[in-house]
Amino acid sequence: MTRFLPALSVLIAVVATAVPWGLPADATFILPLLVVMMVFCWRAIPGTELHPAAAAVLGLLADLLSGGPLGFWALMCLAAATIGLKPGSFRERRDVWLQWLTWTAFISVLGLFGWLLASLYYLRWIDWWPILFGVVTSIVVFPVVLYGLLWVQSGRIGHSRRTIFRSAS
Amino acid sequence: MSKRSPSLFQRHRPSWSAPVELLSFGLYFLCAVLLVLSRIGHGVLEDARDQLVDLSAPLLELASVPAVEARRAVDRVRLHVSVHKNAVEEIDRLTKENEELKQWRWRTQLLERKVAHLRKLLHAAEEPALVYATGQVIADARGPFVRSALVNLGRNDGLRIGYAVINGDGLVGRTVEAGDSVARVLLLNDLNSRIPVQVGPRGARGLALGDNSAELQLGFVQEGAEVSAGDEVYTSGSDGVLPRGLRVGVVVGEPGAFKIRPFAELNSLDAVSVLFFDAPALKRTDPSVVAERRGGALSATPRLEPEEDRTALAPQDPLPPVAAMSPPVTGQAPAER
Repeated sequence: MTRFLPALSVLIAVVATAVPWGLPADATFILPLLVVMMVFCWRAIPGTELHPAAAAVLGLLADLLSGGPLGFWALMCLAAATIGLKPGSFRERRDVWLQWLTWTAFISVLGLFGWLLASLYYLRWIDWWPILFGVVTSIVVFPVVLYGLLWVQSGRIGHSRRTIFRSAS
Repeated sequence: MSKRSPSLFQRHRPSWSAPVELLSFGLYFLCAVLLVLSRIGHGVLEDARDQLVDLSAPLLELASVPAVEARRAVDRVRLHVSVHKNAVEEIDRLTKENEELKQWRWRTQLLERKVAHLRKLLHAAEEPALVYATGQVIADARGPFVRSALVNLGRNDGLRIGYAVINGDGLVGRTVEAGDSVARVLLLNDLNSRIPVQVGPRGARGLALGDNSAELQLGFVQEGAEVSAGDEVYTSGSDGVLPRGLRVGVVVGEPGAFKIRPFAELNSLDAVSVLFFDAPALKRTDPSVVAERRGGALSATPRLEPEEDRTALAPQDPLPPVAAMSPPVTGQAPAER
């Protein structure tokens, strides 16, 4: 069950993304970015497994449910799965700040890329404000999601922290 | 007997990172291909998507229950707070509004009788009644690409692609995909939405163009047409798909950059009604020839016989307020022409 926990939690997030929450128009980009963020975090957390293929399939499901072009969110999730491992996982005593910084840089580039891709898809400049709003919000809530997933993984944040930030000595 | 050296064994051990990298590269390529195929609107891809969305409908319907209930609870709390805060003022306002509505009802009945009398004098042909079905929004599309919603009505309910979708406030959008039990509604503010409209008392023709924002652009207005802020906007029906006279919104902004603020709150849709307006142009938007070939989720022929079954289910009263209906409801209302 633990093995499938990351994929299962992202699946729940994907379904929750499609549910009509009645959010304002400016907040339309936040929920899908939460899915991408979860993929990123699960890849960084040690002792968990979220295969890039699983991330891509979950992104594809998000595409299906959203009615948008197939492949967009799959691409985003795949990129998050790739980048999630790059700064080195917590296992290597990397600080949460580094993960946060990596996410900030990654999501900024991804947001810009998504906006360009969407504009290219429609051959017109689309409204950038919801994307920027979503990107900024995702940066702000990143630690909440990260620690939330750690809590989901272990049930106790303290235990996770000890495991994660354990000295290499 | 020679023994293989550990270093040699390690050199020939298969690396697990290489296949993963190769797989990732393959997945990136696949995503790019899917994006291109989506852009060109490949039929197989669209059919597969419809089938999968149809399959996921029960899950979405189940998942939407807590969200819908939470939204209703928040609305109820807001209402209670506002009532408790200004109870006396609220009662006065509602009493006044009720009086005004009574007057409007009386005037409407008078006008209905007058119109019926004039039609009789002119020997005008009877207009077809608009049949409708009411359902619930079960999913909401979020992202930079689309503004759409999934409703729990499909071809089993007689729905086809191209039908107008309304709620108690006005036009919401039109159906663009239809499965057996679920349909996707392209909202008015979607980038791909183009609705022919009439503006103001003089009925200036134009187009309501969606741009993914909360308001619609008013474009292609006739030259010299008198349009001003505050004018109401209705569907013109000139596309031959949507019925004429459906409320769309109100004109806002400055001359030269007019926009349309939709009457319907598109961000928090709950119950919506689909109007079964079988215009001749629907043969283009939902051609039965193509659908028969495809079959399955995109079968364009409704399972119910449109005239017989819908009429049989039709209530005697005219169209009640959409918000008061519990989905799915099927009924019949006079055409807004």
